[in-house]
Amino acid sequence: MKNSLIISLCAVVFGLLAGAVLMLATGHNAVTGYSYLFQGGLKNPERIGNTFATASPLIFSGLAVAFAFRTGLFNIGVAGQLLVGGFCASVVGLNLDLPKVVLLPIMLIAGALGGALWSVIPGLLKARFNVHEVVSSIMMNWVGFWTVYYGVQSYIKNPSSETESKQLPEAATLKAHWMTDLFHGSYINLGLLVAVVVVIVVAFIINKTTFGYELKAVGHNRDASEYAGIAVNRSIVFSMAISGAIAGLGGVALYAGNASNIQIGILPSQGFDGIAVSLLGANNPLGVLLSAIFFGLLYSGRGFMNAMTDIPPEIADSIIAIIIYFSATSIMIERLIRWLIRRRANAKLNASQDGKVKSSHVEHD
Amino acid sequence: MRKSAVLLAILTLVFSVLAACGKSNNNSSVSSPTASSPAATQSASPAASSPAATQSASPAASANTNFQVGMVTDSGTIDDKSFNQGTWEGLQKATQDLGLKDKYLKPAGTTEADYLQEMGNLYDAGYKFIVTPGFKFETAIYAAQDKYTDAKFVLIDGSPHKANDTTAVVKPNTVSIFFAEHESGFVAGLATALQLKEGEVGFIGGMEIPPVQKYNWGFQQGLKYANDNLGTKVTIKKENVIYQGTFSDVAAGQQIAAQMYDRGVKVIFAAAGGVGVGAIKEAKTRGESGKDVWIVGVDVDQYADGMKKDGKSIILTSAMKKIDQAAYDMVKLETEGKFPGGQTLMFDSKNDGVGLPKDNPNLSPETISKVDEVFKKLQSGEIKVAAEQGNLIK
Repeated sequence: MKNSLIISLCAVVFGLLAGAVLMLATGHNAVTGYSYLFQGGLKNPERIGNTFATASPLIFSGLAVAFAFRTGLFNIGVAGQLLVGGFCASVVGLNLDLPKVVLLPIMLIAGALGGALWSVIPGLLKARFNVHEVVSSIMMNWVGFWTVYYGVQSYIKNPSSETESKQLPEAATLKAHWMTDLFHGSYINLGLLVAVVVVIVVAFIINKTTFGYELKAVGHNRDASEYAGIAVNRSIVFSMAISGAIAGLGGVALYAGNASNIQIGILPSQGFDGIAVSLLGANNPLGVLLSAIFFGLLYSGRGFMNAMTDIPPEIADSIIAIIIYFSATSIMIERLIRWLIRRRANAKLNASQDGKVKSSHVEHD
Repeated sequence: MRKSAVLLAILTLVFSVLAACGKSNNNSSVSSPTASSPAATQSASPAASSPAATQSASPAASANTNFQVGMVTDSGTIDDKSFNQGTWEGLQKATQDLGLKDKYLKPAGTTEADYLQEMGNLYDAGYKFIVTPGFKFETAIYAAQDKYTDAKFVLIDGSPHKANDTTAVVKPNTVSIFFAEHESGFVAGLATALQLKEGEVGFIGGMEIPPVQKYNWGFQQGLKYANDNLGTKVTIKKENVIYQGTFSDVAAGQQIAAQMYDRGVKVIFAAAGGVGVGAIKEAKTRGESGKDVWIVGVDVDQYADGMKKDGKSIILTSAMKKIDQAAYDMVKLETEGKFPGGQTLMFDSKNDGVGLPKDNPNLSPETISKVDEVFKKLQSGEIKVAAEQGNLIK
């Protein structure tokens, strides 16, 4: 745990350093660049709120990937699950006329179910026919993309735009006046609070329950788990379903929180960013929370850096990509650290052995 | 220990420099077409003869030469050969001519919140003349024009409105610009029919949205006009009018184009962004092996994109809407204190806001002279092109 924190921090530092080199190489001042990047995300309450708002869907998508990872599955279909979850929640939100306190939980449940539906199919295929979940979940992305495309156009199309769903009514969004006011008009919303709750729940399930232990055991060694009497196939389906449900909740946070309608023809980039968030967070729920906020900071501060300096947006994108690159290769950093430790230990060992040899020589003489 | 740290540092450096090289190359390739951009053909400013000239209601009465021009890109990159690039080239030309500072920002996503955030960034950094290309900005501009009352906004291809409500609300600090895509499609269809004389043509659209639909309807009317009045025999079949559904799926564009060409289509009008790029790719592959296939480009002059190894292009001509010119004119008008705030401008054949490229190496001189003749009739209002579907295909 402590070790993985160090590795993640190393990844961030290396990433920032490489970004600085990139800025210097293109003739920009890295110090002012980074200072505007962080100012852009943190300068005033509105910007802090925007950072958190940008981070909220990333917390969900990162958590969805991390949960699947911990149970030995690679859920690469988070983008589609976000989209379908958001669509289900939007349909509920547009069609039910209920007070906000009742409507929002129903929307969240609808979103979770939608996401779960989209991930349980790869789960079943994996359990039944051993179809690799990477292939089937990435294909489900496109099934979801076109299903939502059709669904939005046929059932909840916005009268004023061909490519968007109807605007959700005030009661059906996660926006809360007290939060907006607290952060001076930011688009921060209840999605963040839901995300934090889900992080705690997932951490509890993974670390403190028998159910979570079984899921992890299947991830570590499928055959051994089966031998130990765990229903392996059921575990696979469950972990995919839970992973998808988390992603579906993220869809609600994205389409009924940060935005208040769905745009068709776009697969949410948050789905794939979730993989990077999860890697940087060492697949640990708390780590995911922190790394999602870090990514939120990068994404929301980037525009301000571009505006205040001559660093073009593409360079800023590259810097973020480099940081992702380093976090994705955190295993390399881990190996490096291990290698360094081992080398030092070897050196010590050699030194002490040398000493012994010398002393034995002395004895012989 | 130290040695490995040095090694890592070197690796990091090499990696980053390599990345930087790639980047700067990219940048230069983006900026080089700018220098020779079609925006250079600026002799007659269309807005001067457009409704923009009637300035009575404009609130910005005094000349303003000290402002910074910002742009927020739509989904897609700055070198998208379409909206973003066209707008940016126009802005760059204007800011170079007038000695202003310019900047574009790329939003992290495509939601209203993302767009507003970038506009806020531009505003905070002092870029208070903000240009946004694309209908996706409609609701964001609606919010921004009230939030930043001392900034000016130019919305290309859309009008600000509330969500769920089509009523346009153009505040005094905003200009909304539209193009007559149907007229552009009409002349492209006309030129296609005249050049082809006889045969099958097709249409590939991106999303089924009004600007793309108008291109399609105009194109079909252009074909029909040539068939009825100029003795051509060009047909378009129902199965050869396809909206792919996105502006980004290059592979699908290539596939659809391949199917059409296999069905005997000679010319495809591709008004489809990235999907059109796929169609151009397919036409190029077939063109290299000596097949007689063509693409009609869209929005900007796409001639260079269809260049084959022998130096000839498979782009027959392009149905242009002069986004760059619109962007240029708005900046220029602002410097003259004539910013047409609160107005909705239409760029059409009358003010040369739409039409074919200046040079059409793939069109014969007869075709060009006939197209010019008809274009004049269009300008004078003798010919009317409908912006509705009527009994046209899709």
